[in-house]
Amino acid sequence: MKKFFVWAVLVLFLFVSGPALAQTGKPSGEPIKIGGSLGLTGVFAEQSKWIKGGYDAWVEEINQKGGLLGRPVKLIMYEDEGNTDKAVTFFERAITVDKVDLVFGGYPGTINVAIMPLCEKYGMVYISMGGHMKSFQQGYTYSFGSPPLMADWADIAMLGIVEDLIPKKDWPKSMALLTMNNVIGESTRRGLHGVAQKLGIKIVVDELYNLPLSDATPLVSKARAQRADIMCCLSSFDDDVMLTRAAKGMNYNPKLAFHSIAPAQPAWMKELGEDGNNAITFHWWNARLKYPGNDAINQAAKRMYNLPAAPTYFGFGYCWLKTLEVAVKGTGSLDNKKIRDYLRSRSFDFPYGMGVKFDEKGLPPPYAIVTQTTNGHNEILWPKDQATAKLAYPKPKWSTK
Amino acid sequence: MELTFLAESVISGVLLGGIYALLSVGFGLTWGTMQVLNISHAVFAVLGAYVAYWCFVKGGVDPLLSVPFLAFLLFLLGGAVYRVVIRPVTKARDTVMGSMVVSFGLAIVVENIMSGLWHPDPRILKPSYTDTSLFIGEMVIGKGPLIGFAMAIVAIALLYAFLHHTFTGKAVQATWQNPTGAVLVGINRDRVSLITFGLSIASAGVAGVAMALIYSFYPSVHNDWTLYVFLLTIVGGVGSIIGTALTGLLIGLIMGVCAAFLPFIWVNILLFALLLVILLFKPEGIFGL
Repeated sequence: MKKFFVWAVLVLFLFVSGPALAQTGKPSGEPIKIGGSLGLTGVFAEQSKWIKGGYDAWVEEINQKGGLLGRPVKLIMYEDEGNTDKAVTFFERAITVDKVDLVFGGYPGTINVAIMPLCEKYGMVYISMGGHMKSFQQGYTYSFGSPPLMADWADIAMLGIVEDLIPKKDWPKSMALLTMNNVIGESTRRGLHGVAQKLGIKIVVDELYNLPLSDATPLVSKARAQRADIMCCLSSFDDDVMLTRAAKGMNYNPKLAFHSIAPAQPAWMKELGEDGNNAITFHWWNARLKYPGNDAINQAAKRMYNLPAAPTYFGFGYCWLKTLEVAVKGTGSLDNKKIRDYLRSRSFDFPYGMGVKFDEKGLPPPYAIVTQTTNGHNEILWPKDQATAKLAYPKPKWSTK
Repeated sequence: MELTFLAESVISGVLLGGIYALLSVGFGLTWGTMQVLNISHAVFAVLGAYVAYWCFVKGGVDPLLSVPFLAFLLFLLGGAVYRVVIRPVTKARDTVMGSMVVSFGLAIVVENIMSGLWHPDPRILKPSYTDTSLFIGEMVIGKGPLIGFAMAIVAIALLYAFLHHTFTGKAVQATWQNPTGAVLVGINRDRVSLITFGLSIASAGVAGVAMALIYSFYPSVHNDWTLYVFLLTIVGGVGSIIGTALTGLLIGLIMGVCAAFLPFIWVNILLFALLLVILLFKPEGIFGL
């Protein structure tokens, strides 16, 4: 009887700890190939560089933990220069020539708009920022935004700032929209038009410009001439830096400087120094969010770049592959159809939110996180329960140093 | 519309126009003198901007100080390009067409070399003065465009003085006005062409630095700049330095007024519609002979 118990305990131990041991051991077998492209040079290089960092961190981590399904993971990454045509070619090549098992998310939205139908055609699960709401309304079943970068949800961020963080008597009265002329800029602009109407904010300048922006002066000059209370730079990185520099150069001091994405990146402070402070931006992941999983992301950024907190796009890249990992492990398979169905049928705790359930479009419920650069860091202002700093309003005037 | 804003826009437009004029004079010079339609002209302006950028970033040399060096460098490069690429096509039956095709290829080659060396990322040349402005009451004028404009005026004046007050310059003009006559009086046409092409490329390089004080630049931006070069040369009249300079100021004025009254994205559409109208009614250009 005693012998039986010893054997029973041993068998039970092996049964319980077996998968765990296998996961922490060295991965073996043919590598799982995850492929695609990123624009590591060109207009979107700054963001893409950090996304790649997030991907690399996840790959390093998964391989150290015994791989995915016990197999090592290998990225096959092409360089598309931020060019949509090149990205389509490279993704198609990764799927048809390199025969990758899975694909990773590309960047930016203009590229995703083209990659989403491609992945639908080949039946590959595509987890990325997506393009804009329209790209998720095409009936694609393999695309997920986890987290998305949903320009169309800019209104949530603006409403949050004005209604929740500014006393009604001090609400801004006018807004200048300086928008990059592409689907993402247009989606953000549309959202802000709606919110301006709701809040009674008059849009006094509404300008579109082509990327790359050559000269920011005429745009800022118009906003300054109209004394707009809010300067909205619905921009990519380089153009936003130019707009901000022009605003300083012309001593234009709006009460609120609202930006699309640029201030969330470490290069923002490098380019602008002290002038980069007090920039408001909105996002869907932030290193300071109090959700499980973010510690690992921040530790990876510390290990790889010696940064105190992970940059936003680093976190995005990591979260996209983490979502893929959760689904692959959940299904125990590399069958993209099974992975898709798994993601669509359950709710998940991710570093960007708890109990996330994807809707029929592949999106989590609408949300936004508003941040402000304070002493060079991206502090959360809204939602209030996640806030790490208070809104500086009106924005302090430019330093003349 | 505030008067201050209108004045700001007009002044800013005129300053930009002056820089576009410098970018275009060399193009008109080779077209007028040598019948060479150099599509690659603006790519050398971008190259000039990159040289100044790297001198500034790596060596801490102010772009204004690097201008003489890069002008000389690009003059030599222009001479070499003439010898290797352009001279053979000047012997073709249709020099204009031949040079257009060969220089189009050259532009692609140089653009790709620049992409390979420096990546397609947009660059911003930012010495301390480009971030500051001159305040006249409520009016604001950027120091970058002011300095770029001053560079353009000095460079155009030097080019004008060279063409009108030196023996070589007069030989260039003579070749331009009567190629056969110039050869008959002993002017070495090949040497004159080499100098002209070198000067043209050097002026493009200087213009590139002036442009970079205002605009962001990247290897393929020469395609956009080339459009302005064509606009100014055609409207101003091929080969007329004064015509090109005045057209630059005129176009800048139009751009400034348009930027004040129209959506930003419409300015170029209006400008090039204007080019079409001018070509329809005065195909030789406003200042052309």
